[in-house]
Amino acid sequence: MPKPEPKLITFEIDGREVQAPEGMMLVDAARLGDVEIPFFCYEPKLGAPVGACRMCLVEIEGMPKLQTSCSTPVKDGMVVSTTSERVKQAQNAVVEFLLVNHPLDCPVCDKGGECPLQDISYGWGAGRSRFIEPKRHFEKPVALSPLIAIDRERCILCYRCVRFSQEIAEDYQLVFLERGDHTFVGTHDGHPYVAPFSGNIVELCPVGALTSQAYRFRARPWDIEDAGSICTLCPSQCNVKYTTRDDTRVLRVLARDNQGVDDGWLCDKGRFGYQAIHAPERVTQPLVRDGGALRPVSWERALSEAARALARAGGRSAAIVGGQATNEEGFLVQHLMREVLGSPHVDSRPSGVLDPAQARALARPDLTAAVPDIEWAGAVLVLDTELVDEMPILDLRVRKGVRRNGVRLVVATSRPSSLDPNARAVVRFTPGAGEAFLAALGAALGDGRGLDELAGRAGASPEAVRAAADALRDAGPVVVVWGERLSGGERGRQAVARLLDLARTLELAGTEGAGLLEVPRGTNARGLREVGCLPNLAPGLADAAAAGKSAGEIAAAVPEEISALLLVHADPLSSHPDRGAWERALDRAGSVIAFADFLTPGLEEHATVVFPSESEAEKDGTMTHPDGRVQRVRQAIARPPEVLPNWQVLAELCERIGKPAGVVSGPAVFERIVASVPFYEGLTLAELGGKGVRWQERDGAGRVPESTLPEGGLEEPPPLEAADLRLGTAPSLWSGPVVEHSPILRFLLADQRVELSVEDGERLGVSTGDEVAVTVGGASVRGVARLRSDVPPGSVFLVEGTQSENATALTNGRPRAVKVARAAREVTPA
Amino acid sequence: MADQTRVLLDDIDEPGLHTIEVYERLGGYQALRKALTTMEPDEIVAELQASGLRGRGGAGFSMGQKASFMPKGTMDKYLCCNADESEPGTFKDRLLMQKNPHRLIEGIVIAAVAAGANRAFIYIRGEYVLQADILNAAVAEARARGYVGANILGSGHDVDLVVHRGAGAYICGEETALLDSLEGKRGNPRLKPPFPANQGLFRGPTLINNVETLSNVPIVIAKGAEWFKQRGTEKSTGTKVVSVSGNVQRPGNYEIELGIPAREIVYGLAGGPPPGRKVKCWFPGGSSAPVLLEEDLDRPYSFESMAEAGSMLGSGAIIVVDDSVPIVSLALRVARFYRHESCGKCVPCREGTNWTVKMLERIDRGEATPMDIEILDQVQQNIMGNCLCVLGDSMAMPVRSMIAKFKDEFIAHNERAREAADRLAVGAGLSSEPVDAAA
Ligand SMILES: Cc1cc2nc3c(=O)[nH]c(=O)nc-3n(C[C@H](O)[C@H](O)[C@H](O)COP(=O)(O)O)c2cc1C
Ligand code: SF4
Ligand code: SF4
Ligand code: FES
Repeated sequence: MPKPEPKLITFEIDGREVQAPEGMMLVDAARLGDVEIPFFCYEPKLGAPVGACRMCLVEIEGMPKLQTSCSTPVKDGMVVSTTSERVKQAQNAVVEFLLVNHPLDCPVCDKGGECPLQDISYGWGAGRSRFIEPKRHFEKPVALSPLIAIDRERCILCYRCVRFSQEIAEDYQLVFLERGDHTFVGTHDGHPYVAPFSGNIVELCPVGALTSQAYRFRARPWDIEDAGSICTLCPSQCNVKYTTRDDTRVLRVLARDNQGVDDGWLCDKGRFGYQAIHAPERVTQPLVRDGGALRPVSWERALSEAARALARAGGRSAAIVGGQATNEEGFLVQHLMREVLGSPHVDSRPSGVLDPAQARALARPDLTAAVPDIEWAGAVLVLDTELVDEMPILDLRVRKGVRRNGVRLVVATSRPSSLDPNARAVVRFTPGAGEAFLAALGAALGDGRGLDELAGRAGASPEAVRAAADALRDAGPVVVVWGERLSGGERGRQAVARLLDLARTLELAGTEGAGLLEVPRGTNARGLREVGCLPNLAPGLADAAAAGKSAGEIAAAVPEEISALLLVHADPLSSHPDRGAWERALDRAGSVIAFADFLTPGLEEHATVVFPSESEAEKDGTMTHPDGRVQRVRQAIARPPEVLPNWQVLAELCERIGKPAGVVSGPAVFERIVASVPFYEGLTLAELGGKGVRWQERDGAGRVPESTLPEGGLEEPPPLEAADLRLGTAPSLWSGPVVEHSPILRFLLADQRVELSVEDGERLGVSTGDEVAVTVGGASVRGVARLRSDVPPGSVFLVEGTQSENATALTNGRPRAVKVARAAREVTPA
Repeated sequence: MADQTRVLLDDIDEPGLHTIEVYERLGGYQALRKALTTMEPDEIVAELQASGLRGRGGAGFSMGQKASFMPKGTMDKYLCCNADESEPGTFKDRLLMQKNPHRLIEGIVIAAVAAGANRAFIYIRGEYVLQADILNAAVAEARARGYVGANILGSGHDVDLVVHRGAGAYICGEETALLDSLEGKRGNPRLKPPFPANQGLFRGPTLINNVETLSNVPIVIAKGAEWFKQRGTEKSTGTKVVSVSGNVQRPGNYEIELGIPAREIVYGLAGGPPPGRKVKCWFPGGSSAPVLLEEDLDRPYSFESMAEAGSMLGSGAIIVVDDSVPIVSLALRVARFYRHESCGKCVPCREGTNWTVKMLERIDRGEATPMDIEILDQVQQNIMGNCLCVLGDSMAMPVRSMIAKFKDEFIAHNERAREAADRLAVGAGLSSEPVDAAA
């Protein structure tokens, strides 16, 4: 559905003439004339208004009854009063009714001081209470979930939380039970409301009925301050507000609605993961391995030891940059490697080499979709990614597009997706066969020749591929949301070639609102790529002077060609394929120098120097969203006394090795980046401001190095090798250090689970709940079996990034045929 | 005894009328045949409009006009027959469905064809188990004869018909709550607009009509608008099945020509209150209609005259209250019903109904002050016109009318109850008041 273009009209409100876009709801249009209309249930983010609270009643000339301004679109010539006697009487009445059953326990309510019910009672109520009857009572508060407490006495039944669950997250868990004044919010059967986005309801609630278990009673509004930044926990890079106290603690994370990024929502990891900042396990001092163990040391000692080790290794150094590194950090790391140490080996991609020409093609502004395009596209293809785990907030965008604007959704993944029920067409292909799927899709979009054969190579049903093609054909602008996984491994280059070919077929380049949107593994993967953290690409996606080794090649080259490893926010043991190779590499490397906020088992065992990292709330810098929006990460609280900014440590290392980087501040590093990345030209931190800037929308956009899309000449995808069970892996939203170290989230921590089709389960004598071992080439991962009717037979799925039994033990960038068998329950020694 | 004017209830006593054989023998389904073979959908709508037939479910909106709001186009369109009949005092639809289900089915199919609807539902209140069974059997018969289903009578029109039982909520009779309930959701009214004609069931255009309204359709089509209009008044055409209940000697359903004096119904047909009793007040259109007094019985019983009297004809259910009933008990009875049935979605109704009940209970116990009666009245005003649907008003209007017409009785009731309570307390030695003061 194309985005409508509203025209301006003039209407009168409380005696003033106001201009507003036609069709805007009166309650919003009034604000354009500085008239405030009180409301509770209205929240356009939640979809169509429901008209439940009746707070927004106004008088409109020519209409006999008062009208709800939240649901009345403004029209030219409308004459509106929000202050007439009738309106005042209605406002007084609604406030009075709302307080009839409200406990008025403001002095002990978290919401007190930032409560719309307080504000509106004060502003629009009659200021007296005539209700002397007994009030309704509920047990209070009770746990709606481990994250959220509910106080049903305070609830004004505004529908917001229920609408969120039903119409935004579509988890359909929250409902109203009973009716009349006995109505209350709950779940079917009273089970806890656990869902990836549940925390948003706390922020939506206009009263203190829903409170965060983590924030309850921690502060009052006059104790706290807001600090805007972005969440750095996944590539969604949602805009957030940290609620801070005394400049030293983060007490809460709230959304900072940016339509271009997050639409005002956060996932529960982003909302509650701040607890890890203050976890006692955090690394807050420099550490050096001494007598086999890491011990706290002075900065002087850590710096000199690291500098000495790196200088000694020189060109035999290599850097692995994790996705949470800022552009500034990434830029300095590649500078340190290339310019200071003379080593070309720097990589920020866990999934293998990205062809430089392809990287440039993927960066073409005319090929890149912006996040809001998802909402207004004709069709969206979700390809080889599970959004809710990998870029959660996009999951909500896709749902919104489908629900509100009739976007045709096509889901093409190996693992069943939570978006399947919303899709017009669903294709399942064998793990790792994205290339063959794209070839088959190409055939289906073209003359159909070879479709059956190609679908067979993808392990997909030709009918499903055809249905996908039908949904995409003539749909209007298409947005392809594709996972980095597609481009990984041995045949990643061929898969990207197919992706670019699809872009050509669907004419993404020439179509407004169409394009590709990558879902990378790392939060700042795009920024790191653009500032030069790939082995074959210098800043600005220019060819690197000397091609370096990719992450996988680095691991293989230790110790013969590489002796020092610099791990910046990265522990390849948990994030990179081929864990065995990395274990050997870390074991044999002469020095392993890490920037880290937590000691993962890999670092604990192998790091020789650890620099404590700033937490996301303590750093300043920039990141680049997968759609090209350069955003600021801003410091909200003071660093712990012994933590230094990472950029400063990196600059210090350059200096100590003898080649000063010449930067004296974080902003100075940003200036260097802008000078080195031609298409960032002209960007300033001030301009990025609160909402960021998509570089594609700036003059510098024209300075992306030229690249063309492939015209034919595509390789045939290989046939599927015979295999009993093929391994697919997928990250979980609930894995990683942030979940491990936030006490409130720990109950969600992902354990290894082995997803199998029911058929395979029966064949192997495995039932849901059994402990099984998945084995290939001598390596084995154990987990709890889960039989799913929607998993296609022949595939088995493991979680990547679990604390133990990580799937990376079995992956190596090639299709893997695995064996699954019941494992004897291991008795873990206490 | 006064006479009824039987049109709808014409053959109602015919044994076996609920079977298709008997219905057809008495000329049933001829209107459908006529409509399908000799009329275009637009003409059916025009005929309905010309007949002046007004909705019998409560609001009294022109049936033909509502049908004319249905958009053209080939999308799925719906017709919902509102058989939720839950308004206290109303039991006419039950009779029509139980005795003459085929007339309703015939009306539904004609109306559906007129409105271009290809899917029809009868949403029947859960307690009407017998009637639902009868309807289901009748629908099966009609389907077997080709009156329901695909390509009806070879006309190319498809109308599928499903009987759906509600789950016991009065609010599901409100048309948009009915739609939500039918969709499998919690039955809560929706905000209007969009009106059902534009976006109703499953977001498709939907026509909603009451059982009695739809049962009139075959009559209008068979006999013509002109014939139909000969009965009733200019603005209230035709006949009406009136459910009379309360303090009358012969409660029941009576079919009358609209516009006859209400007294003829209450006294002539229903026999008036028991001997020695007088009419204290009466509800002309279900318990949500403001009460009228004895002298209003001389008004013509029509939509316009009841509105003029400050009340409404509503569903056409007359509840008679005689002078043995304390007005506070009556108000409490009404308020309790609506509090119990409020869906809870909008604030004034949810909180206003429960507040009203609590205040009335206090008045009943003698714990109120005259100021409370003022507040009670203001609360009703604060509900009226401010709710999402009219359930809130359905309590506020009658309660307010009772306060307006019987205010002194409210005050006296409270006084009397207080004195009685005091006496009891003194008797039990519980009062703090000096004993001689109570003497
Ligand atoms: C609370 C409430 C309950 C209602 N219950 C019924 C009902 O049980 N039966 C009915 O026909 N109409 C009922 N109505 C009226 C319907 O909303 C609607 O106006 C009617 O079904 C339209 O049909 P008609 O035009 O044929 O009268 C109710 C309305 C409200 C507000
Ligand atoms: S809990 Fe809060 S958001 Fe949910 S209905 Fe009640 S007041 Fe509204
Ligand atoms: S008026 Fe009552 S029944 Fe109607 S929507 Fe409001 S709460 Fe529900
Ligand atoms: S804001 Fe309009 S009814 Fe609630």
